[in-house]
Amino acid sequence: MPEISPLAIVAKAAKIAGDVRIGPFSYVGDHVEIGAGCIIGNNVTITGKTVLGENNQVFPMAVIGTPINAAGEPGTCVIGEANTIREHVTVYCSRDKETCIGNDNLLMIGCVVGAGATIKNHGIFDNCSHIGPSALIEDYVRMSGFAAVGSGRKVGAYAFVTGYASVDRDAPPYSRVQGSPIRVRGVNTTNLKRCGFGDDDIRAIKSAFRDLYNGSSNAPRPEALSRLLKESNPYVRRLAEAVQAGFPERQSE
Amino acid sequence: MTIVTVTREIAPAARVSPEAQIGPFCVVGPDVTIGPGTVLLRRTCVVGHTAIGSNNVIGEGCVLGSTPQDLKYKGHQTFLLIGHRNRFGRAVTANIGTESGGFVTRIGDGNTFADRAHIAHDCYVDNDTRIGQSVLLAGHIRVHDGAVIEDMVGVQHFVTIGRHARVGSGTPARRDVPPFTSFYSENYDWSGPPAVRGVHEEGIAAANLDADEEKELRRALHELFDDETALQTKIEQLVNMGVEGEVAELCHFVQCSLQGVFGRHRELNRGKVPSEAETYLPPELKVVVRESLR
Repeated sequence: MPEISPLAIVAKAAKIAGDVRIGPFSYVGDHVEIGAGCIIGNNVTITGKTVLGENNQVFPMAVIGTPINAAGEPGTCVIGEANTIREHVTVYCSRDKETCIGNDNLLMIGCVVGAGATIKNHGIFDNCSHIGPSALIEDYVRMSGFAAVGSGRKVGAYAFVTGYASVDRDAPPYSRVQGSPIRVRGVNTTNLKRCGFGDDDIRAIKSAFRDLYNGSSNAPRPEALSRLLKESNPYVRRLAEAVQAGFPERQSE
Repeated sequence: MTIVTVTREIAPAARVSPEAQIGPFCVVGPDVTIGPGTVLLRRTCVVGHTAIGSNNVIGEGCVLGSTPQDLKYKGHQTFLLIGHRNRFGRAVTANIGTESGGFVTRIGDGNTFADRAHIAHDCYVDNDTRIGQSVLLAGHIRVHDGAVIEDMVGVQHFVTIGRHARVGSGTPARRDVPPFTSFYSENYDWSGPPAVRGVHEEGIAAANLDADEEKELRRALHELFDDETALQTKIEQLVNMGVEGEVAELCHFVQCSLQGVFGRHRELNRGKVPSEAETYLPPELKVVVRESLR
């Protein structure tokens, strides 16, 4: 049996799995599904067509699945497994596009996830980081305090977004980006090492970055890009493909 | 005793003073102590091993004593200690300590925290500080007496903010901020590097110094920070001249920062229990900590 506080308001139509804990003063709406092992704190609001997978932990005052304007129709929000959603986090959704959060993410206090954004797996988002509507955040991304991702922008896998940075164009995978507008400041070696990348791979990625952003740290060099696209190292190829797909048309300024 | 008779949840084991006011929709956990005269406004949540002193006002939607956002924290029994006469704005969050960082997050007396400020694990905030809106204090930070941190400042972990120092709004504080100085980015679009850019006049006024002491302090501050090159040599010269009082404090602070990692002295404590933990843990908690370590 789920352990729901008598002071919580849970809609009858909501599908709550066994051993879910819901704290006092929380509100769970009609179309919500909550998977087994979830711990929902007090004063949490979960509305919209929200599906929470197993073993998620939602801390007090978080709001999940709220439409952008209060009168709006409920949208869809799909959250995977083992995510930690800390206090005061807001996850928006709209009926046009579902908001997706993968598995094992840590959204720290005061994060905002815009409507239609997709967060893949294992991300860590520091306090007050903002993920714009329809943005795409790939695996193992780290975002620092006050960092923001613009609407529809993409942050590549293993990238690190420095504090106060505003991602107004796509951030390439493995990179460390900083400032507003963002500049590529180097390779996120710490994260790569922690994620088990070999020394050779890290060296290859580093040298690829040096070729791409030599000096300017902003616009990738086209001749280096075409060469890197034929590189044998899969990580380097992935970087080159991501840069090719995301960067050139947004480099006009 | 005035307790608003609207729904709220207070764990039976919690030690709440009868003179405390707990507002509607508040949640108070079982290991919480709340002193007399403290007011918890609506929707405030106090959990964890949290002790709150007397005459604090805690605004709407605050969450005090929740688990640290540190991946190294593995559910150990750690504490959040809050002194007296503090003012918390809305949605302020403060975490308990971690076992590797000294077991305790401590907030002193008479501090003001504006809306959405965050005090992370193992921070030591001393007395009479002013902390602005959306300020993020990362882990292991020490904020000394009377410091002023303005809105939207992100303070990196292990930073020390000196006595009566000021951090300008929107400045990323990545290194120690010396006492009595004003630290900010030159341009309002944060493009100038954050640095010590002057004397914090309000801080000097608040410190109530003698005319002579004030003159000496101003001279030392100008000498050190008008041009920040060769700080080490300048400090050695000052110390050799035989300084005392605030100037000696300033010299000691800057010297410690220079010895630290990227200008952060407390980073030398990484993975160790800092000396403050011994100072601020009350004796009964020291016993608990020692037992739990066994």
